[in-house]
Order: sequence, then structure tokens, then C-alpha cells
Amino acid sequence: MYELRGVTKRYTRGKDVVHALDGVDLTIGDGDRLVIQGPTGGGKSTLLQMLGGLDRPTSGEVVLDGTDLAELPEARLTRVRSENIGFVFQSFNLIPTLTAQENVETALVPLGIKAADRRERAAEALKSVGLGERLGHLPSELSGGQQQRVAIARALVKQPKVLLADEPTGNLDESMRDEIMDVLERMWKEHGLTFVMVTHDSALAKKAPRLATIRKGRITVTEKTGA
Amino acid sequence: MFFTYLRRELRRRRKAALVVASGLALGIALVIVVNSVSNGMGRAQEKVLQSLYGLGTDMTVTKAATPASGDAQRPRFRFEAKDDDSEDKQSSDRVMAQGFTTLPASTVTEVAGQKGVSSAVGGLSLNVVKVSGQFTRGQFQQGDGGVEMRGKPGAGPRYRIEGGGADFDVNMYTVYGTDVTQPALGPLTSSEITSGRTFKTTETNAKVAVADAAYAKEKKLRTGSTVTIKGATYEVIGIATASSGDAAANLYIPLKQAQKLSGEKDKVTTVYVKATDSQQIGAVKSAIRKNVPGTTVTTSADLAKTVSGSLSTAADLAAGVGKWLSIAVLVAAFLVAGLLTSSAVSRRVREFGTLKALGWKSGRVTRQVVGEAVVNGLVGGVLGIALGLAGAYVVTAVSPTLQAQLGGSGGGPGGPGGGGAFLAGPGRQAAKSLEVALTAPVSATTIALAVGLAVAGGLIAGAFGGWRASRLRPADALRRVE
Repeated sequence: MYELRGVTKRYTRGKDVVHALDGVDLTIGDGDRLVIQGPTGGGKSTLLQMLGGLDRPTSGEVVLDGTDLAELPEARLTRVRSENIGFVFQSFNLIPTLTAQENVETALVPLGIKAADRRERAAEALKSVGLGERLGHLPSELSGGQQQRVAIARALVKQPKVLLADEPTGNLDESMRDEIMDVLERMWKEHGLTFVMVTHDSALAKKAPRLATIRKGRITVTEKTGA
Repeated sequence: MFFTYLRRELRRRRKAALVVASGLALGIALVIVVNSVSNGMGRAQEKVLQSLYGLGTDMTVTKAATPASGDAQRPRFRFEAKDDDSEDKQSSDRVMAQGFTTLPASTVTEVAGQKGVSSAVGGLSLNVVKVSGQFTRGQFQQGDGGVEMRGKPGAGPRYRIEGGGADFDVNMYTVYGTDVTQPALGPLTSSEITSGRTFKTTETNAKVAVADAAYAKEKKLRTGSTVTIKGATYEVIGIATASSGDAAANLYIPLKQAQKLSGEKDKVTTVYVKATDSQQIGAVKSAIRKNVPGTTVTTSADLAKTVSGSLSTAADLAAGVGKWLSIAVLVAAFLVAGLLTSSAVSRRVREFGTLKALGWKSGRVTRQVVGEAVVNGLVGGVLGIALGLAGAYVVTAVSPTLQAQLGGSGGGPGGPGGGGAFLAGPGRQAAKSLEVALTAPVSATTIALAVGLAVAGGLIAGAFGGWRASRLRPADALRRVE
């Protein structure tokens, strides 16, 4: 469970101070699905970084299961990321020289899992996203949708509590978009994840049971009943 | 994962990797060539010194230089005018101690008694000048020209002297009186007996000689031939071939015989000294100088300083230009490797950011970068070693000939022309010119140095890149997307 209290993030660009997040309060329960929407530069990705422990707020608290990520030393924060948080990026962010299976394995490396187990778990994860036949393929040999599915397998192979997705369909065409959203939704349900997704796509936003909109660093959360 | 990732990355960026490796290879190859050429110079210098000293000699003791005492010691040749018409050849041998300076033979015992001296052996270097030939008397002839012998001009018979003169041949060579009881030390050790035999330790006063191969060839000497020195006949028992450069002398005879020939009874020109510990040569030198007055002690290091000529120039070049060029190229290669690695990290910001986002510690990412750089360095090292070995092989194959001028204070008394090359021989005062072929031996130390440099190059490059990678924030993986 996430609890964000008075989260502020300021960047200094030359003489200007940019308030990427301006006193954000937000609670995300275990197993929740939250979609974050807003204009470019509004602070969506910054909020996602705070949730993922990729960056620290200038002030405020980002509490995950009772631990304030803002105060954690780097080593422990890294550990939280490696064990509890899965990321899916807009540009897939696969390592171009590694095969699909090896890319998925990279998420298990920090956990100290033996190579044979890593390979087995990575293969299973890829099968679960429909890429059981593409284990040895390099990212360049896969379509955009397939690459994103590899990225989803990589995010989920360690069985995290949280899945954070930053515009996961941003680089995909419509058919691919639906395919990926189906996979993400299925995974969310199967794994009982807390799923936070940033998107520009209004169609996707409309489907979300809970929608957070960020403008100029300020957040507004809309709850939908029956969604 | 470490090795798989490393291998794939190097393969992906093989052009950049090749540039980094080539730069390092060039630097390392230069270091190998310069180092091995320096080694070759050292060996060449050693050969030059050995040709003077013989093997195992750490230092020589000679008489301290004294001011020349007029021309009392200059060789004089006396030929008598003969009244008859004899066509007999006359000859006169002059056998002189080299440099005209000798030490009492007791010096050898004295030197041998010094602390740190393992063994000492005396030798007498002689220069022999043999002038032989004949005079022909002039004949008085009556005629128009010539020298008017008597009477007034224009009156009486005229006489002139025709013919007459002298035809003399000067043969100069060197003889070394060796202590046959101690064959392990002295100039003869630098030669190999290629025919016949060397002296027996019992032949202390035998009329036997060993001839230098080059001299024997010139004079058509062989084992069993005889040579005559100042009227004494010696049987040639062996032919010695100098292992490098010129031989120390043309003929070697037992010390006592040399002393007898030169009239230098119980005298030696040089004492060859072997120290018990090669690290203590300085101390032994000081002890001899202090305790055996009137002597000059020359170590091989001292003698090495007197080496001049192209060998010396080449050695200076290797030590100066070569060393600094290697350092400059290495520094440039390290810098280029570092900058290229750092820039490669910059191009992989998202990749490393993603890994950090996945929970890879900074240390693991840094290790990956350093690992890649070290492998790059090692590839450069292997290329560099191959290139360096090829370079060293070429130098050895071409074997450029270097000339070394050794020696110092000239030929001693005798004035200009009195001390030329024929006065060369063992000892401090010798001036000697040798030709040695340059080789470039690659030692295990040089290879170890090259490997060390390769690893160092990789680590330096890795440090650049690793530092950059360690400073990347995982948020950069996302930021790039926006």
C-alpha cells in the first residue's frame, strides 16, 4: 500500500524553479489499479519515479508498506526496487544485445537467483505473455508489441507487489495497444498487483476504475464506481 | 550473466572496442620494442665489455695514471749500417707493456686479499712492434748529372749516387700474457677455443701460444704452427675465436713468458677481479682503492660509461626518445580509451538506468563497465604484445650493426700516432672500437609489463566509464523517454 503525503519535487533549471510535484497526497491500496493522466510536463512521470523509488522528493513522504522510500538509504532503496517493484517503460528499455530470455533474467540477477533457476523462471514468464517460442530472439528480431511483452515478463518475473507502467502503449499502434493492455490487465488480475499506469491515451484512461490527473504538479483523483 | 552481457556488448561495439584496443596495442607494442631494444643495447654493451674483460670479471685494477716521463719509454729501433753488399734482412722487435705502465705481480695477491674479492688474476698486455727489412747501399756512377763529388764545375769527371735505400716492413700485434693457473678469469674467457686446445695449468712457462682466429687467418697460423716473438719461438696450440667483437689480443702466451719477453719480470698490466657478491662491487672497489695505493680500479659500470659511438647514441635514443615516446603514446592511449569508454556509457544511459531501476546496484553496473574496459585492454594487450614481438623480431632479424668506441685516456706515452688501435687491449687505458649486432630480446619481465599495462589501461578506461555509470540515476531510464 502506498501513502504519499505532501510530496513535492522541485527542479532548478537555470534561474527558474520548476514544481514537478506540488504537495501531492495520494493513497493507493494493495491490488488497486490507478491510471495517471495529464499534459506533458505535468508531473506524471515524476510521480511514477517517486512511487518506484527511482527519485526522491524534495519534501514529503512516499510510504510503501510502512517504509518511507524518501528516507531509505540507496542500498535499501535498490533492494526495494529489486524485490517489490516492476517497471514497464514506454520504449521497452530492453538490453539490445541480450535475448528475450536474458532480458527477463536481468530482473532476477539482483536477487541472487542461480543461473539455471533464472533461465527457467524467465522462460515461464515469457510463456505467460505468449512468447514461449521467442526465448532466444534479440529485441531487434521482435515486433514492438512483442518487445513490450518481454518487458512485461521482465517486470513480473520476480513477482513484485507493484507494477508501474510509464505509457506502456505509447510506442505501439492500436491493435498492439489493445494486445498489451489485455496482457497487463490479465497479469494484474492473476498476480493481485498494485498497478499504476501513466498514459496519454484517453480511451485507456476512461476504462480505469481510478483516475489521477496531474496538472502543474497538482493531483486530482477521480474514483469510478463499477468500472 | 556478467560474461554473456560483456561478450555481447563487446561484439556490438566492436568498432569502438577495436579503436580502444588498437590505441592501447600501439602503446604497448612501443613499450615492448623500446624495452627489448634497450635490453639489446644492454646486451650489446655487455658483449663489448666482455670482449675486454672476459666473462665473470667485475672490475680491473691497473696502475694509476702518472705523468709521462719524457720519451724514455718510447720504443727505439736500432739498425746497423753494413759495409758489405749483403742482402740479409735485419729486424728488430720491440715488446712493450701496454700503456707502458705495470704493477708488481704482488698486487694480484694484495687485491685477492681484499674483503669481498672472490678471485683475482694478473695479466700482462704487450704490444709488439716488429720492424724488418733491409738496407741497400747507393752506387757511385760516373756521368753528367748527379752529385758533383770533386773538382771545379765544368772540369773533371762527375759522379752521382744511384739506388740505395731501405725497404722495411712494420708488423704490429698484441700479445697477452695470461695466468694459465687461473683459466676462469681474464680476457681469454671471452673467446672460445675453436681449434686445438687452451693452456694447461701446468704450462706456466711453456713456449706455447693461443692465437686469435682473426689474427691466425691473417698470418695463416694453425694449430701446430710456430710464431716468433722477439726471437723466441712459440708453438700455436689453439685458435681462439672471440665471442663478440675483437679479441683482447692477437696472441696469448703464458704470463711468465710474456714477462720474460718484455723484460717486465714479476709485473702485470692488469689485475682482473671477481667479487664474491655482484651487489658489493662498489664496496670492493673502495676497499681496493684504499688498501692498494697507486692503482686505478675500473668496474664494468665505469667502463660502460666510456662507451661511445652509434651503440651509445642508440642506447641514448632508446632511453630518451623511445621511453618518452612510449609514455606519451601510452598516456594518449589511456586517455582515448577512457574518453571512449566514458562516451559509450553516455550512450547507454537508458540501458544502465533501466538496470538500476530493476534493482542492479551501482557496483554491479560499474563492474560491468569496468569488465568490458578490462577485456578491451586485454585485447589491446594481446594485439600490442603480438605487434611488439613482431617489432622486436624485425629488429633482431635486421640486426643493425652498432659501433662502440670504448676506452678512455688514449694509448699512453708515445705521443700522437704512438697509441693507435694497435695499442688496444685489456685495461682502462685501451681505446677500442667494436661492432656489435643489435638484437631486441623480449624478456618475461617485458611481457609481464605489457600485460600489466594492458590491465592498467583497461582499468583506467573502466574507471572513467565506471565513474560515469555509478553517477547515473535510475530515474534517467525514464527521463530519456519524456
